[in-house]
Amino acid sequence: MSKNEVTVIDREGSAQTIAWEPEQTLMEALRDNDLPVLASCGGTASCATCHVFVEKEVFDSLGERSEDELELLVEAEGYRECGSRLSCQIGFDSGLSGVTVTLAPED
Amino acid sequence: MVEPGITEPVVIVGAGHAGVAVAAALRTRGWNGRILLIEAEKEIPYERPPLSKDLLKPGAPEQASPLRTEKFYVDKGIERLAGLSVDSIDREGRAILLADGSRQGYYRLVIATGSRARPLSVPGAQLPGVLALRTHDDAVELKRSLMPGTRVAIIGAGYIGLEVAAAAAKIGCDTTVLEFQDRVMSRVTSAPVSRFFERLHQGNGVRFVFGAAVTAVEGSGRVERLLTADGSSYRADVVIAGIGVLPAQDLAEAAGLECRDGILVDDACRTSDPLIYAAGDVTRFTGSFDGTSQRLECIQNALAQAERVAEDITGSPARSPEVPWFWTVQHGVRLQTAGVRHPEDEVIVRGTPAEGKFSVVYLRDGRLAAVDTIAGLADFRPAKKIIASGAQIDPAAAADPAIPLADAVRAPIPVR
Ligand SMILES: Cc1cc2nc3c(=O)[nH]c(=O)nc-3n(C[C@H](O)[C@H](O)[C@H](O)COP(=O)(O)OP(=O)(O)OC[C@H]3O[C@@H](n4cnc5c(N)ncnc54)[C@H](O)[C@@H]3O)c2cc1C
Ligand code: FES
Repeated sequence: MSKNEVTVIDREGSAQTIAWEPEQTLMEALRDNDLPVLASCGGTASCATCHVFVEKEVFDSLGERSEDELELLVEAEGYRECGSRLSCQIGFDSGLSGVTVTLAPED
Repeated sequence: MVEPGITEPVVIVGAGHAGVAVAAALRTRGWNGRILLIEAEKEIPYERPPLSKDLLKPGAPEQASPLRTEKFYVDKGIERLAGLSVDSIDREGRAILLADGSRQGYYRLVIATGSRARPLSVPGAQLPGVLALRTHDDAVELKRSLMPGTRVAIIGAGYIGLEVAAAAAKIGCDTTVLEFQDRVMSRVTSAPVSRFFERLHQGNGVRFVFGAAVTAVEGSGRVERLLTADGSSYRADVVIAGIGVLPAQDLAEAAGLECRDGILVDDACRTSDPLIYAAGDVTRFTGSFDGTSQRLECIQNALAQAERVAEDITGSPARSPEVPWFWTVQHGVRLQTAGVRHPEDEVIVRGTPAEGKFSVVYLRDGRLAAVDTIAGLADFRPAKKIIASGAQIDPAAAADPAIPLADAVRAPIPVR
């Protein structure tokens, strides 16, 4: 069985590959693999501590950002119009296996 | 990370938001000694906010939302004891005593016992149909008793009472909220925000009775009506008491730890015993930003204190303190607050409440002390940063929603 994995570039710039379990949001996968994602709202698009950058193709393949998500992101450190996402709003998708995400800087 | 000679585990009492986060944060910080998480409830540790929100939606599943997967605890080597409560602490012996009579030594002890719903203390409060909402079992019982047409009386217009009112109204219950004060959420927000949420609820069929002092619950075999001090009577099939919480400090008190409406902790979450920490709803501490003694009942505080405990146990450097924040969702409208408002703060409304989306900023000595954002988060993060910086704000600019809040800052942000 092939495993679902994502490559994560942390805030120091080093890359690591982590497992992404079905039924987890991307935030949960990051957090449970000890990446420094505080997720202080438990994944309800309230805190933006789970902010990541995704590649353009991935960004385009994901759905629209909700108004709450967008308003939080616009004010977040390093916001990218076509790249910033709250990882708690990215549900598991085996089609995303193998992608690379980058942790956004902390405020 | 573990010093040679440490054999006893870090024992965490209570696997709520704070307890689970302490365990996780210890591992993130490289702690490789034993961690034992003890919880009175049988279920896998779960999230509380959805209990009064998503779980009560018509057709929503009754299952709780786990904080972490079962696999997480196994992978991280976090030992769990569930369905067993801690009865007492033997500080001299550095051990706790469990309800099954067993004894467990600790290297460090973390008390994360949270809070419990303040019980209604009027005659008849024990009648079936009088409920409170704290646990998943409470939420399931409540959900099952809310049917279209059910007469629901909610005592207390705090955020939990109001979230329940919104859910009940959505189901089609005949919903009345009785509140002693003259407005909703009076403890946590200002009048303009209260008025906005009152109108929102009324527009969705919720009735309010302000200045209501409930004196008794009556019924034969089950609740049938509520009585108030002015002699009024309100028919009810279900009563929900949302009258605040009490810190679950009994363990700490019995062990002689300093408590005063909460276990007293210092800025590293240490209790009066240096080997014992406390985190979450159960603590009382001095706020980093306003310097007042406080107890905060919110996820943010539970998680931030958990991080602090893990930092201190592992000797990791402390992160700078986070401005406390909180959210509630009623009838699909989110109120999100940063900072701690004081009743005497200057209140400045940004935007037009009648348009359904606005913010309220609170100034203390000219500095931004807190913000409420309603149905929009644009001001939330900027406000958090400004509060943390202690910057002075120009009230006229802050009152103009066309001016970004960051541009209302007067002096250059001083370095903390
Ligand atoms: C319905 C509801 C909705 C909420 N909504 C929000 C929200 O939207 N946003 C927000 O920020 N906050 C919200 N809160 C508040 C938030 O849930 C609390 O601040 C948070 O749960 C505090 O975490 P804690 O770990 O301190 O306590 P808890 O989560 O209460 O955990 C304490 C645990 O300790 C256990 N325990 C107690 N005594 C013992 C003992 N002697 N032995 C063993 N175990 C013991 C208890 O069973 C409990 O599981 C809500 C609370 C409720 C009840
Ligand atoms: S976890 Fe808070 S916004 Fe994603």
